[in-house]
Amino acid sequence: MPSNLRIAADIGGTFTDVAAFDERSGELLLGKTLSTPGRLVDGITQGVAKAGTRLADAHLFLHGSTIAINTMLERSGAKVALVTTQGFRDIYEIGRVNRPDSFNLRFKKHEPLVERALRLEVKERLMYDGTVREPLDMASLEAVAGRIEKEGDVEAIAVLFMHSYRNAQHELAAKKFLEKRFPAAFVTVSSELSQEYREFERTSTVVANAYVGPRVHRYLEEIDAEARRAGFSGKFMLVQSTGGLYSLREAKQDCVRMMESGPAAGVIGTQAMCGIMGIANAISFDMGGTTAKAGVVRDGLALTSGSTMIGGYFTGLPLLTPMMDIHEVGTGGGSIARVSATGGLRVGPQSAGAAPGPACYGLGGDEPTVTDANLLLGRLAEDRFLGGEMKLDRRAAAEAIRAKIAEPLGLGDVEAASGILRIATASMSHAVKGVTTDRGLDPGEFPTLFSYGGAGPLHASMVARELRIPQVVIPAAPGHFSAFGMLLSDFRSDLVQSRFVRLDQVQLEELKRWFAELEAQGSAAVKDARLETRRLVVSRALDMRYVGQEHAVTVDVPLSAFSQKSKSSIKRHFDELHKERYGRGSPEEPAEIVSIRSTVTGIMKKPRLAEIQRGGPKASAGALTGERRVFFPGRGWAKCRTYRRAALKAGNRIAGPALIEEHASTTVLEPGDTLRVDRYGNLVISIGLS
Amino acid sequence: MEMLRAPLLGRGKKRQKADPVTVELVRNSLIAATEEMKSVLMRTSYNMIIYEALDFTVGLFDRKGDTLSIGLGLPMFIRGMSNTVKAKIDYWGCKNIEPGDILLTNDAYTTGAHLNHLTFSIPIFHGGRIVAFSTCMAHWQDIGGILNGMTYDIYSEGLQVPHVKYHERGRLNRDVRDFIRMNVRRPDRAMGDLEAQLSACRVGVKHVEALLARHGAAAVQASLDDIMAQSEAEARLQVAAIPDGVYEAESQMDDDGVDIGRPVPIRVKVIVKGEEMTVDLSGVSPQVKGFYNSNAGVACAQVAFKCLALPGDYPINDGGFRPLKVILPPGTVVSALHPAPYRVWMTYPMTVVDTIFKALAPAIPERVIAGHHADLLTANINGIHPRDGRLWLYLGGLIGGGWGAKSDEDGMNGTICMNDGDTHNGPSEQVENKFPLLVHRYELRGDSGGAGRWRGGLGTEVEVEALAPINYMTRSDRVVNPPWGLNGGRHAKGNRIAIRRKGELTVFPGGKVDTKLAKGDAYIMSTGGGGGFGDPRDRPIETLKRDVRQGYVSLESAWKDYGVRFDPETLEPSAE
Repeated sequence: MPSNLRIAADIGGTFTDVAAFDERSGELLLGKTLSTPGRLVDGITQGVAKAGTRLADAHLFLHGSTIAINTMLERSGAKVALVTTQGFRDIYEIGRVNRPDSFNLRFKKHEPLVERALRLEVKERLMYDGTVREPLDMASLEAVAGRIEKEGDVEAIAVLFMHSYRNAQHELAAKKFLEKRFPAAFVTVSSELSQEYREFERTSTVVANAYVGPRVHRYLEEIDAEARRAGFSGKFMLVQSTGGLYSLREAKQDCVRMMESGPAAGVIGTQAMCGIMGIANAISFDMGGTTAKAGVVRDGLALTSGSTMIGGYFTGLPLLTPMMDIHEVGTGGGSIARVSATGGLRVGPQSAGAAPGPACYGLGGDEPTVTDANLLLGRLAEDRFLGGEMKLDRRAAAEAIRAKIAEPLGLGDVEAASGILRIATASMSHAVKGVTTDRGLDPGEFPTLFSYGGAGPLHASMVARELRIPQVVIPAAPGHFSAFGMLLSDFRSDLVQSRFVRLDQVQLEELKRWFAELEAQGSAAVKDARLETRRLVVSRALDMRYVGQEHAVTVDVPLSAFSQKSKSSIKRHFDELHKERYGRGSPEEPAEIVSIRSTVTGIMKKPRLAEIQRGGPKASAGALTGERRVFFPGRGWAKCRTYRRAALKAGNRIAGPALIEEHASTTVLEPGDTLRVDRYGNLVISIGLS
Repeated sequence: MEMLRAPLLGRGKKRQKADPVTVELVRNSLIAATEEMKSVLMRTSYNMIIYEALDFTVGLFDRKGDTLSIGLGLPMFIRGMSNTVKAKIDYWGCKNIEPGDILLTNDAYTTGAHLNHLTFSIPIFHGGRIVAFSTCMAHWQDIGGILNGMTYDIYSEGLQVPHVKYHERGRLNRDVRDFIRMNVRRPDRAMGDLEAQLSACRVGVKHVEALLARHGAAAVQASLDDIMAQSEAEARLQVAAIPDGVYEAESQMDDDGVDIGRPVPIRVKVIVKGEEMTVDLSGVSPQVKGFYNSNAGVACAQVAFKCLALPGDYPINDGGFRPLKVILPPGTVVSALHPAPYRVWMTYPMTVVDTIFKALAPAIPERVIAGHHADLLTANINGIHPRDGRLWLYLGGLIGGGWGAKSDEDGMNGTICMNDGDTHNGPSEQVENKFPLLVHRYELRGDSGGAGRWRGGLGTEVEVEALAPINYMTRSDRVVNPPWGLNGGRHAKGNRIAIRRKGELTVFPGGKVDTKLAKGDAYIMSTGGGGGFGDPRDRPIETLKRDVRQGYVSLESAWKDYGVRFDPETLEPSAE
């Protein structure tokens, strides 16, 4: 009997979430367990068991993990040697020379992942158009190999040659040589990861791949072996930073592509759920213990970008790989509130983390956090956190807020807690503005805030009010939403190649040929993954700028633009995007192409979601669990009914103020809000904007 | 001269206490407002100096022109805009400024910098009176004037726009617009930048109006007072920790570009007394003949003060500068009078800032930093492109240099100088795609960091071959006068300009070079390192060994500067 089960496992810093989906019944099974840093694969096994299912019964196993990003952030990766074109080994350390923290005399640059002594140069040189100025000198490559050999314990080798995005021959020849010479080493070259110009960013990308490569490679093999031992005989695929899937074979080589898989999968879940609900434009809002992250779904598609900085803008390392476009602020449930030396009240970005955690966890933390404020104000219950598995200490929360905030500022406890919440809300609303206004998008065009993560439902209504967003959606199992999103993901291959050419000087046929070459690679990856579906969707984009500009923008160009006779429609798309993003377009000015981008998506068969039981407008008596007093900032105390989410039925309506509680989360309905439960169990909240 | 005010806290009339939550919400809103002004300007401006080199400032000012919050492109712009707003208020008088007005000037002696800095302000009204100003300055690619070479007065530097109303009660002043259009080289682009600046100002207006509507004018005012008082209190705490005393230091610039080889002295005096600091710049050289003049003296003092006392305090507001007094007589090179030329105004102030740190080194060695390379090290390069026969222009250099060591840290390698902040270099792959140039190497300059217990950061070096004939001009400084060390740390290597003709290297004695290169010739630009801190002989052997292994310090320098001989093979220190 063919299996109908697909299982997704999302390993995060604190928890491992498993979501399993029975494609025949539509039933969704969930398991949450603490991550097991010593041997991460154990968390998966436990989570799968907790969800009450077996890998042996699944035909598809999807996985996203923080292993790659943690390896980078913890600096626990491989010993790497970097091989570059002669004259350029230092570009990795020099970087872009910028100093964003301008008045800080202790400003630090990015910290390279490979020491200078192991940044080695070989003689070779390509020109900007890919022609060979100086052939690859095998003697100098041999000398470099000798140096690596002498070092003794190099585990991975990264190769970056100038202009390799136009001609990869030298890099590939070096790779072949080095692989043969060092069969145990992980060898990676820049052109296999990125074919975009910008030598520093490409170096940083290939070095990061080398740095995390050996560990990720071992990890993936271990999980694969463990799954096979458990009787799994289906397909094992990994989640990329775009939220798209790729094969185990690709993942073992292109390790950097899975850097941000968890957060990306949440946005993919938002995109899929919005599709089912008929919502075209939405903002995803994912709030956990330390951060709040916002992404954008526009015209049904999640927005992605071509690069990111791992470790933040100030001192981070850039990666030139496609990513979900996510803006993050350092405000989460664990964010600490404090009074500065000069009497200012601040919230975050320091976080109490999971240990010691907020004061109310009773694990020794005495700093007041956003979670403590929520508890003090009645928005969280002492005895229902994580389904009652964890007791919260209200007195400890009150004491921390009194001693550290209320007394120094001469405020009442409640006033102080309410202030913490208001400040946290304001800073989270900046995360949302970060993905809209900063990109030239009008937040008013995104009338739905799709909120998940453990702390998202608790704050979504306040954040929506701050931003005047009229509707909030809280999906089923918001604490498992990234794992759920993986179940709805597609196979995806992103390809990009830098091609500097003026639009008016390139033949349309030539442009089409370049795209066709890229897309052949994408189709081959899909074919190679042997998906059950052969349905492919191709989308194209061009990085363009006006002649004379430095900065290029990525323009999505519909395929139809390439079947026309002229390039005028391409130019029009660029002018329009430029106008939207930068306030002005210049149809009369010539434009040039910097890079071409193509995404080939292998559409996976999607599970059909089960509908929950229907009920009337009034929630059943079984759903109502009680009543308690809750403080709403700016409005004071109000009596609130509390409901058990699992007992709500489709069609139920609840008027705020009210609290909807579930295992890992609480949804707060402010006075004036109204909620209805849709047929998939989503809580659809209409925000009472005055 | 900045006026010193009575401290807000603990003296005089008791201030009405603001609600701390509202204060924090207002504080975050001010930061968000200036951030959005920045973002709008960068997104909508037309020239790359604005959106890539961040050559601009946006800000919100109170009705007297004091800074409430500024969003800086470049650190050295910390003072100029407030001065400009104050000058506008003085010129027009509040009663003559009306809703719908947009005030404009680029007067160099007011903004403190070159004529490219057009500064627009929109007054914000509440209850019928002015409560604030939203302002934007941005660097225009061109403002007329001569294209190349030295300037000797302000008239040769382009169009001077006096105090005018660009809009008057909501109506565009066409005469002013047409006057500007006729005097700049790329009027369409300039007008694009102008519109971007107005958009940025309007975003500021929108934010302030929303703030007033949400919290009410009284609460906003109380919050602003409190934000400034907090910055002031923080600054006072920091200054109080500096031992009282009079601290002096001196340095010099190589020359003014006219009297080549004749040094220009920079003398500063810092007086610390209790919670207050006075920076006396009377000893800075009189204004010079070449285009290195500015009116950035107060900015120099404030940049140094912010780095020392308030590096993490945002929004940047004038409360923080209340404990700082600046003595700056007119006519110095950083308070230069009409008609002094200002075009390369930004080079000298960086050295003034470093000299203030140098003066304070004996008092607070743990908080200051040794000298840095202190020059953008740019070159104007142009020629005819063989691909299309057209003139191309390229601002070369901007490669980052060494920063000074501190009492407990080595200096940063290859980082942009003090005048700039979030400015990026250009990828060599891009340079080669656009211009007939071939970058041979872009690398760290070994041994360029000053030796010390803590080593200065390394400068960088770029060698670029001309694939077609080019004109090459640079006006660099601090070639002869290298970045200094502190507390026994050695000085670094200075900036350096060289060319290679037919394979033969020529190193120029100074930084002012104007030449032509033939196909196959190359220019070499090298930035200085940072000065060292503390006695080099105290640098631990293991640390020095690491330096040698990485090639930051050569075997020769390890022996000559640090007194340690390493075996070239094993890198073990030898016994002698």
